[in-house]
Amino acid sequence: MVTETSATAENVTVIVDGKEHKFPKGTNLLEACQSVGAKVPFFCYHPGLSSPAVCRQCLVEVKGSPKPVPSCYMTVADKMEVTTNSPKVLDVRRQMLEFTLLNHPIDCPICDKAGECSLQRHYFDWNGRLARNEGVKVRKAKVVDVGKHIVLDQERCILCTRCIRVCNEVAKSPDLTMANRGSHEVLTTAPGHRLDNPYSLNTVDVCPVGALTAKDFRFARRAWEIFSTPSVCPGCATGCSIEVHASRGKIRRLVPRENPAVNKFWMCDEGRFEYKTVHDHRVMLPLVGGKRARLDVAVTEAAKLLRADGGSSPSRVGVVFSAGASNEDDHALLRLAADGLKTERIYVGGRPPGWSDAILVSADKNPNSAAVRAMAPTARTLEDLRADVASGAVTALVVFGNETLVLAKDKLTAVVALASHQGPLLASANVVLPVAVWAEVDGSFTNKDGRVQRIHAAISPPGESQPGWRTICALAGKLGLALDYTDADDVFAEASARHAFLKGAVWGPASQPVQLRFGESRG
Amino acid sequence: MADTAPTALESRRRVVFGESDVADFDDQDLPTEVMPLMMGPSHPAMHGTVRIALEVEGEKIKTADIQIGYLHRCFEKEAEHATWTQIFPYTDRLNYVSPMLNNVGYALAVEKLLDLEDKIPERAQYIRVIVGEISRITDHLTCLAAGAMELGAFTVFFYLIKGREWLWELLEEVSGARLTHSYVRIGGVVADLPEGWAARLREVLGKVRVAIGDADKLLTRNKIFRDRMDGVGVIDKADVAGWGLTGPIARSTGVPYDVRKDHPYLVYDRFDFDVPVGSTGDNFDRYLVRLEEISQSMRILDQALTKIPAGPIIVDDPRVALPQKRETYNTIEAMIAHFKLIMDGLHVPPGEIYSFTEGGNGELGFYIVSNGTGRPWKCRVRPPCFANLAVLTKVLPGLFIADVVPTFGMINMIGGECDR
Repeated sequence: MVTETSATAENVTVIVDGKEHKFPKGTNLLEACQSVGAKVPFFCYHPGLSSPAVCRQCLVEVKGSPKPVPSCYMTVADKMEVTTNSPKVLDVRRQMLEFTLLNHPIDCPICDKAGECSLQRHYFDWNGRLARNEGVKVRKAKVVDVGKHIVLDQERCILCTRCIRVCNEVAKSPDLTMANRGSHEVLTTAPGHRLDNPYSLNTVDVCPVGALTAKDFRFARRAWEIFSTPSVCPGCATGCSIEVHASRGKIRRLVPRENPAVNKFWMCDEGRFEYKTVHDHRVMLPLVGGKRARLDVAVTEAAKLLRADGGSSPSRVGVVFSAGASNEDDHALLRLAADGLKTERIYVGGRPPGWSDAILVSADKNPNSAAVRAMAPTARTLEDLRADVASGAVTALVVFGNETLVLAKDKLTAVVALASHQGPLLASANVVLPVAVWAEVDGSFTNKDGRVQRIHAAISPPGESQPGWRTICALAGKLGLALDYTDADDVFAEASARHAFLKGAVWGPASQPVQLRFGESRG
Repeated sequence: MADTAPTALESRRRVVFGESDVADFDDQDLPTEVMPLMMGPSHPAMHGTVRIALEVEGEKIKTADIQIGYLHRCFEKEAEHATWTQIFPYTDRLNYVSPMLNNVGYALAVEKLLDLEDKIPERAQYIRVIVGEISRITDHLTCLAAGAMELGAFTVFFYLIKGREWLWELLEEVSGARLTHSYVRIGGVVADLPEGWAARLREVLGKVRVAIGDADKLLTRNKIFRDRMDGVGVIDKADVAGWGLTGPIARSTGVPYDVRKDHPYLVYDRFDFDVPVGSTGDNFDRYLVRLEEISQSMRILDQALTKIPAGPIIVDDPRVALPQKRETYNTIEAMIAHFKLIMDGLHVPPGEIYSFTEGGNGELGFYIVSNGTGRPWKCRVRPPCFANLAVLTKVLPGLFIADVVPTFGMINMIGGECDR
């Protein structure tokens, strides 16, 4: 049977396990085998890194070669005959695993990687036999503080060098190296270096065992207790694809998710800590004049305050967008401003710009600035807002997010804050309506290149907070504008019909949190 | 069918009493209206919580609607979320008067999927037969004891339940738990028989034999007992196939179907035992069949204890059987095997299987579908007493209200198994 894997003219014919396949010239042999379902285990190979062929786990037989060859180090050649499941290959695979375990400590019960460990998985799948050696294991250093975020356990290291290549090839910062030889070989920091580069935590992700562990996640949760949800990092305008790992209603870590168009396999350390803000200092309940109120009462009060100022032309109600809100929240807020409040005074705020690099980090620290720019091109800055408040051009405000905003209250008759977090804004707000944040909603972000990417609800919103567009719908209803959205995809459908930058974007299937234990381990 | 002819129990019915007191008084009945009467779910005789919605005319039953489900525990759905090994405790709670038989039935099904059938060590197979037959005895003892008690024979209840307790003490010695044993594992059993256990079992069997003899003497020729049992709740032989009846219920009608004989599993083909059958299919036949099956199980036990070989008690495959604790704590290889077996579950190749064994109440079947992961994709149970109970809809009409008690009792509905 001939399987066409690519339509390019430069194809070569390779026989994998007796079956003929065609691959584009230059395809890595290991990737070629995997693509046709031939299972080949590996430790040192990583699709995003170069292949040094040090682990010898991916050995296969190639006709004409006297010894098994590492498939990760070969490219396909025409008429090549590869065997991945001959008795000899299976035996070699077993022996390599036995070697790898020779000095491996019995750490599974206390190892953070247990449950998502490649070594556990490959040993069980490809060897599974009980121990034959009775020798004493070589002891190495256990808790080595190698960097700001990372702890190294040299005993657990299987010397695959993936982390070294991440530092060299992704972070461009050669911080790690191998030292000593044979059974005494260890991973260590290069002389004069610490593992402190801005991409250091990627070494933890690529580590096939528990040698490098994140201080932040160390002993926090067992891998199989975690529920994984695909999402997008809200840390900057790059919009790296991530998995949100949550358990018992709290996010425990963020890890990168493969996306060839944006972040490949990586994300920056700064982005990984974005989850810290999700749970702290949240607004749980609606407030009217600083006192707890029922949501419908608070919404009615907000509408009354906003209407009291209405009627003037041009409208003196201002609407403040957040560059951190989703496309759906932005669209609903735009409808409220244009059709409900009939105002053209639109402002946009967000987190201030910060550092950037040529790898992934963007200077714009907001995930969705592009959407606000495209939806409301006339939106002005918070500086303009302060000036308009001072001049009396704006006397009432609807503020989405922007909890750090400080307003001169004496000039304003009404401030309605749709806020997720505590902040100075809340002190000057007449009505506060709690809204959910990115990790708690279904929605989408538009990154700096205009790529629209889905976010999924990984946890439930706390207290009475709900997705921002839902609260906006309630408020619009009280102002006489019927926004009939049932779910976030209704908002998205309407938004994509009205805004050019969302044309052709697809909402995609729903994604529920999947327990890692049931979703096959990550190892 | 095996070469041994089934033992007919007809001779034991030989005692003939005078005309029954319960003559046909139909012509003297006062005119009554049809009245609905709910037996259960909390009626002392409706063990395991079941409701029989009766329509009675005076004392006579016109229709009977069996309403089950009060003990539904989502066994089949729960099983889809548990590893293959974690399901054993759930099977304990199917027929909870003979958990070992459920353990064995489930293990055999999974082993067929794993293609391990022929690799189970002989000793493990013998142990499975031994604990299974003890469970069959406790199952029948429970049924007979409760049945007798409900007809007023309280002494018999104590005699038989005491015997059951001795046997459960032995199973506790083996497994660590009196009732919910979870003793069988995929690939074998979890622990070997304790030292001196065989001798203790023989001793207990002797004592149980005495208890059975006493019960036999107190009941079999007892007119009060016979009046309630003879000719009551007659099941037609023709209904056996139609209603899917198995076990003592089917055998009481004269159908000699016993999975152990007709489709031998484990090492049952090596034992000499008979399949007792009744002749009329009434309650008394079901009583006699159970009484005789206890003796036959004792015969099997006797032979098994003599023939049991020494050797391992679980397959020698670290991908199926948990390594010894000593290995797990001291080597990384066994630690990984332990970890993967506990956390991911053992990997059963994709496929489907229907495997059936002789449970306490009849054919206990497991229909399992695997999709190659550590958990079953579907784990359906064919509980014998589900089918056995259904036939009461046909049997009860025409009987008196008082007849529901012995008839239901001799069906031996076990809620945990029937409702799952």
